[in-house]
Amino acid sequence: MHRIRRIAASLAAVTLIGSAVPAIASATSVITISGATASYPLVQLLAHKYVKLLHNKVSFRISQGGAQIGINDVAAGRVTIGDVSRDPLPTDPPGLVFYPIAKYAICVVTNKSNHLANLTEAQVQAIFTGKDREWSQIPGASASGPIDIISRTSTAGVLTNFKSLFLANKSVSKLAAEEPSEGLLEQQVENTPGAIGFLSNYRADSGSVNPVGYNGIGCTLANASSGQYSGVARFYEVTKGKATGAAAKFISWIDSSQVAHKIVASQWIPV
Amino acid sequence: MQRLRKPWSDHRAELLLGAVSLSTGLVVLFMIAFVAARAWPTFAHNGLGWLGPGGSLKVQVENMLATSTKPPASAYHVRAWPIVYGTLLITALAVLLALPLAVLSAVFIVELAPTALRRTMIRVVRLLASVPSVIWGLLGILVLVPFVGNHLVTASERTSLQNTVQLTGAGLAIAVVLLTLMITPIMVALTCDALATVPPAWREGAAALGVNRVRAIRAVTLRAVRPAIVAATVLATARALGEAIMISMVSGSVFFSPRPGDGVAFLFEPVRTLASTIVDFREGLGGAPALNSTLYAFALLLLFSVFVLSLAGYLVKLPLRKYQVRG
Amino acid sequence: MSSFASEPALGASGLSSAPRRGRGSSMRTWRWSDRLIWLAAWTAGLLLCAVAAAIVLYMGYRGVQYLRPSLLFSHPQPSGNQAGSGGFLDPLLGTALLTFIGILLAAPLAICSALWIVEYGHGGRTRQALTRIVESSIEIVAGTPDILIAVFGVAIFQLHFLRFASEGSEGGGVTGRSFLAAGAMMSLIALPPLFVATRDGLQAVPTHMREAAFALGKTRIATIRRVLLPSVRPNIATGVTLGISRIIADTAIVLVLLGDELRLSPHPGGLPVLNVLRGAGSSLTSYVYDNSPAGEGGAPQKAYAAAVVLLLFVLLLNLAVEWIARHQARSSGSVAAGGFV
Repeated sequence: MHRIRRIAASLAAVTLIGSAVPAIASATSVITISGATASYPLVQLLAHKYVKLLHNKVSFRISQGGAQIGINDVAAGRVTIGDVSRDPLPTDPPGLVFYPIAKYAICVVTNKSNHLANLTEAQVQAIFTGKDREWSQIPGASASGPIDIISRTSTAGVLTNFKSLFLANKSVSKLAAEEPSEGLLEQQVENTPGAIGFLSNYRADSGSVNPVGYNGIGCTLANASSGQYSGVARFYEVTKGKATGAAAKFISWIDSSQVAHKIVASQWIPV
Repeated sequence: MQRLRKPWSDHRAELLLGAVSLSTGLVVLFMIAFVAARAWPTFAHNGLGWLGPGGSLKVQVENMLATSTKPPASAYHVRAWPIVYGTLLITALAVLLALPLAVLSAVFIVELAPTALRRTMIRVVRLLASVPSVIWGLLGILVLVPFVGNHLVTASERTSLQNTVQLTGAGLAIAVVLLTLMITPIMVALTCDALATVPPAWREGAAALGVNRVRAIRAVTLRAVRPAIVAATVLATARALGEAIMISMVSGSVFFSPRPGDGVAFLFEPVRTLASTIVDFREGLGGAPALNSTLYAFALLLLFSVFVLSLAGYLVKLPLRKYQVRG
Repeated sequence: MSSFASEPALGASGLSSAPRRGRGSSMRTWRWSDRLIWLAAWTAGLLLCAVAAAIVLYMGYRGVQYLRPSLLFSHPQPSGNQAGSGGFLDPLLGTALLTFIGILLAAPLAICSALWIVEYGHGGRTRQALTRIVESSIEIVAGTPDILIAVFGVAIFQLHFLRFASEGSEGGGVTGRSFLAAGAMMSLIALPPLFVATRDGLQAVPTHMREAAFALGKTRIATIRRVLLPSVRPNIATGVTLGISRIIADTAIVLVLLGDELRLSPHPGGLPVLNVLRGAGSSLTSYVYDNSPAGEGGAPQKAYAAAVVLLLFVLLLNLAVEWIARHQARSSGSVAAGGFV
């Protein structure tokens, strides 16, 4: 019985010491990221590739919440890098550095049963600000009944860009349903015949919704790359002050590596 | 050769076991203390008024999200009545529906069902009680929401509300129906246990007096299990109050107070509860201070309600003790 | 306020069946209100059966449609688009890990509390007050919604001195999200069923067994170790099974305290086991949530597949509880068993 007691005591000591070691050892080999849901698929692909290339010497923790959450978290030191899907705003906390990693297009989308091919700027504004409430007021739409506007919650960078690029900074109607993520917005539009919303091109071109042309130009990756499509915005990786350590290496890898370039070019537009 | 060790004295063992046991009490104390401490800023800036109506909750939450580390006092302003109302509404409706369903089912299982069916029914109730809430939510959002949105919500209802709120199918009705189905099995199980302990002599006495079976149940058995039904209702209400995941999946993600004046459309209007809002904004826990303290304030309110419920249940059962068959 | 800490066991100390209808009576003599109630009771019962059947059949249908054994053994693909390929091995492992931690932490707490209350809980007024406190605390924990326990978990584990339990980030913040954090809160979820099962088992052990041990000169603690604990093993097994089924079904704690990292990602460096515990990952329930339209994955097929696996586990655990109860009833005639019939 004494032996058991001794073994137990030594195990406890080892565990205590062992748990102290990771606490003492630096945590910089974990890169924590939070922020935009639109850039999440891209950042996750990049992170996965980077971890493989570095043979698991670095690991990532990526959470979402929207671009504003990313900004808040990185400014408060809660994460190392913030994923942001909009340009810097004057209201952002000071000291943040924005590193662009890709460009993406914002597409207006409708339900697949609604074969709307194109909307002009005036029509988009009338719909999303709530001025036009019925599909019958929109030529080219095959849906009927009231227009269900699906928008994003206020943390979304895509929403900020949508307002500035498409709505001339007018607000989205307060009737709009607010989804906290791109995935949810896509699902809502997919399931509601009278729905209209806006998504990054990665989701809009996935086949589950109908991407609508803007001012005569279709919302495709080709049109966005060539510059013809006007609703194009940037994804940024944001750090507090200049990026240092593992985060800096990751961001410079995204910038310079061929592999990263290929990943970006697959579904998005390289910067 | 094993060394003879002096065995532990009872006193030492008692102290050790007692200390371990009381640590649960410590956990509860810490729970209240930490949640209250984190929630304090919201109370400091709003008083108790944050429970009431005023302004748009959506805009208030947006303000909180826009601020970062040192928010101004105005960022803490919140009037959470839409979700308090939503919580009360959904819970009340679900419990009102679940109570008769549960009592009737329990009566069926214990008194009326043939033996083979009774065994199946017990398994059915156990199964329903153990279905995880994420599966209820999954079935709701993949099966019920499209069905309601595409087949039950009429175009005229949509049009009549087109300037107030959008009806997509996700809303009050589905949340209430699923919540009822979730809390009924708990109530059935507790009521069944209680019905089973009613002494057979009481039933036999009623039969001897010429009372038919249902009448005997109504007059004798159900009266005897009133404390258990109260306990079951309290437990079910606490469960309904705290249901977050299923409601977050099926009730629509809009801060809106459903209006009974809208007629049938009232059932299809989106709603949010305290618990589902915490889940929807869970990334904000530990994040922006204004949002963080507001979420903790919601949690504190939930905690307080659960305590009040338990206390109320205990108090209601006290006078019924004299009819009690089982403690 | 005594018994609702338990997972209702649908069992009591034996049921004597309601008196069967006599040969002369028939429903034709009943009043309308009675007939209506009879009809309503049958409808209610059959409605519950119908709902359960609908759920099982529909999930079975979707399972046959979407569930393939390869999904159980392949890792999730890290892309946002889960509908493509990849399985859910990591979420399964995550659930197993959470269950293990939860039960490991809950079992000593529950068993010690039950032992203390039953064996040492009688005596003076202070002793009774303390017993009342412990029982009430466990009831409060049982009645607390899981989202509240999750919120409390975040509050605790984001404290600086507990940063060994999760990870810190550059600016000094602590994430508070890890398997250890989630597992610790899961133990609170599993505590009440385990406690009630053990306490009921201990209370059912007849006094003469304890008295015989005392007569032989054993101390109370020795009696507990040698006599009582072995005889309540089935109850503890039932309690553990109930606790496991509550842990694997929980979603709110996982979403708040574990995040939804698709793959198990241990904290780099440090002890081999501890870094997994401090790391992030997901569980089956958070995987279902994330792939449903409420989350990011956008892959309802994977959500259905994972949900079917979850439901199967829950059903198996239910059967296990029934089996233990029946086994116990058969072996020890005097101890009350679960199940009415």
